[in-house]
Amino acid sequence: MLPGLAVLVFSLVVPLGFSVYYSLTDWDGLGAYQHVGLDNYRAILTDDPVFWRSLRNVLLLLAATVFLQNPIAFALAALLSRLSARASRLLRTVYFVPAVLSLVIVAKLWVDVFNPTFGILNKLLRAVGLDALAVSWLSNPHTSLAAVIWIILWQGFGWALLFYYAALMTVPRDLEEAARIDGAGRLATYRHVIIPYLAPMIATVIVIDVISSMKQMELIYLTTQGGPGQLTQFLGVYLYQKAFVTSEYGYGNALSVLFVVVSAGLTLLVHRGMRVISR
Amino acid sequence: MKITAFLVLALALLPTVRASAQTKVTIKMGDNLPDRNNTWGAIVEQINGEFKAAHPGTEIVTESYPDQPYQQKIKIYATAKQLPDLFKFWSVVSLLKPMIDGGFVAPLDRAEFESLGYLPGALDTNTYNGKLYGIPVSMDFWVIYYNKKLFKDAGIDHVPATLDELYAVIPKFKAKGIIPMTTDGKDAWPLSITFDQLVWRIAGEKGLPRQALDRKIKFTDQVFVQAARALQQLVKSGLFQEDLMVSDYDAARNLFGQGKAAMFLMGSWELGLGTDKSFSDEFRANVDAFKFPVVKDGKGTVDDLMAWYGGNYVVSASSKNIALDKQYLVFYAKRFPELAWEKQAALPAQAVKARPSDTPVARSILRIIAESKATSGTPALDLSTPRFKDDNENAIRELCSELITPEVFVKKLDAAAEKAAKK
Repeated sequence: MLPGLAVLVFSLVVPLGFSVYYSLTDWDGLGAYQHVGLDNYRAILTDDPVFWRSLRNVLLLLAATVFLQNPIAFALAALLSRLSARASRLLRTVYFVPAVLSLVIVAKLWVDVFNPTFGILNKLLRAVGLDALAVSWLSNPHTSLAAVIWIILWQGFGWALLFYYAALMTVPRDLEEAARIDGAGRLATYRHVIIPYLAPMIATVIVIDVISSMKQMELIYLTTQGGPGQLTQFLGVYLYQKAFVTSEYGYGNALSVLFVVVSAGLTLLVHRGMRVISR
Repeated sequence: MKITAFLVLALALLPTVRASAQTKVTIKMGDNLPDRNNTWGAIVEQINGEFKAAHPGTEIVTESYPDQPYQQKIKIYATAKQLPDLFKFWSVVSLLKPMIDGGFVAPLDRAEFESLGYLPGALDTNTYNGKLYGIPVSMDFWVIYYNKKLFKDAGIDHVPATLDELYAVIPKFKAKGIIPMTTDGKDAWPLSITFDQLVWRIAGEKGLPRQALDRKIKFTDQVFVQAARALQQLVKSGLFQEDLMVSDYDAARNLFGQGKAAMFLMGSWELGLGTDKSFSDEFRANVDAFKFPVVKDGKGTVDDLMAWYGGNYVVSASSKNIALDKQYLVFYAKRFPELAWEKQAALPAQAVKARPSDTPVARSILRIIAESKATSGTPALDLSTPRFKDDNENAIRELCSELITPEVFVKKLDAAAEKAAKK
């Protein structure tokens, strides 16, 4: 109990305490600083459109993960669970490849695919006569957010599939058989038997999605760095930039404290929601 | 028995261990030159090698990252009190001042560097409160590099002298599938320097951005609106690579070096393109540079040059071997100009002599600086607070992504300057 508590205190409470302390200062990370009370928080909440945009982008990414990536991953996992063992294993490996690639490689890969002049995507579009669609995906204000969200979903897809596949493997055969005997069709079996059975697992995946959406940082940093303008800005990148690019260390710490608050709030909400649904 | 033997052995070994610990000194260095086999980085490696040979027992460990990540890394190291002993940084007015104020940088002895051929004012840019804190490395100014062969292939026989002529070459390159010009749009500072250059070309008066930062004039004045319009027009015209706003320094440089782009908008520190072995012989033989064009009806001339002293080397105040670090800097200051010019890798902040063997691009660089009538000093984005720099870059990004109009852009710039002036 005590060692566990000590780890928790030193790895979580103490750093968070420092963050809270610095968030109340105007420290630039180097020299002397002054205490400014809640000024940083006030500025973030009332006078910082970039903060709200990056929060909105996090929620958009979360929505895309939960409502696009997860259902597709679930459907595919369900299909895979019906295939022969060999075919299923091969396909699972293929789908999981993006998840084991280094983030830097994934980012460079997609930056190249999306390259407006030499990228394969625009070459394909032009080849089939869709020249009008061949835009500069990552720097066009209309497509940049969708493009980075796509890359994140693409990379995370393997994990979602793996979780759901593993979960589906735990569904007892007799449960499905009982449903079939009772006259339930395949879809009805999924809807009324399998999905409710897997609800705790689905909740876990969604909590993981919340966490990974919140802390999304590296991929944005490696592709758009929040641009063009601040259209693809995410909280993780924004607080890093504030602390270490513009040397507003105090402000960056205030952002990170809010970050923790929002993450904790979202996680609680998901838990509460799932409890209501599974009831 | 065994224990006694072990103790004897240990005691016998002790002096040697102590001796080697005494003579072995490691200098930790940091810089923004990740390529250690070509041009600038290779020269630093050579200087390091020579210094180690002259100081037996000295080891030099270097950490290198590309420019912007490097700047951030140094700030993180400073915050965590883990700065390298010796590191490359930027001039006092921009990034170095807070480091000096915070007591992170050790003062140097100016007398040791006075006689080493520094260009007029070069050491002054690194002097603060009467003390020298860093030694400047390069003389930087804004030019356009171009590929003579691609110009010839597109049927263009002279370099654009005006913006209109620049616009006129765009379709000629595009017809050949060549990108007319590249630059680093992701990091935005090259576009910000270009904006300053345009302001000067239009107004014919130097230092207007500085006056606006000092709040003597406003960024919302007409000349800034005109310059913003001109900059946005350059991007809109299709002059640059399509993904300008997300392509970084290396991406832009590689497009040019690999012959996919005809021009590269960048500083004189890229004169090493003429000797960079990572590109083809054909490219190296054809790369040259010309002056940033003039603006129609503008009052500025082609010889009003955006020019300043670039990075510098500083010594960390927490280094354990400050004396040795300083010896290294003197050694570096003596060797760098000679080697940099011999290898045609950079234009040092110290005087160099033209030689018959100079590459064409190096000759052009020397000619451009020799012909300049006035120089700007540090670009505006580095003249104020880090926050202003970031605001400036973000506003430039929005302007060049066509998210805001030139009128909104200058308002944002003015608000950022106002905020910085209050600090």
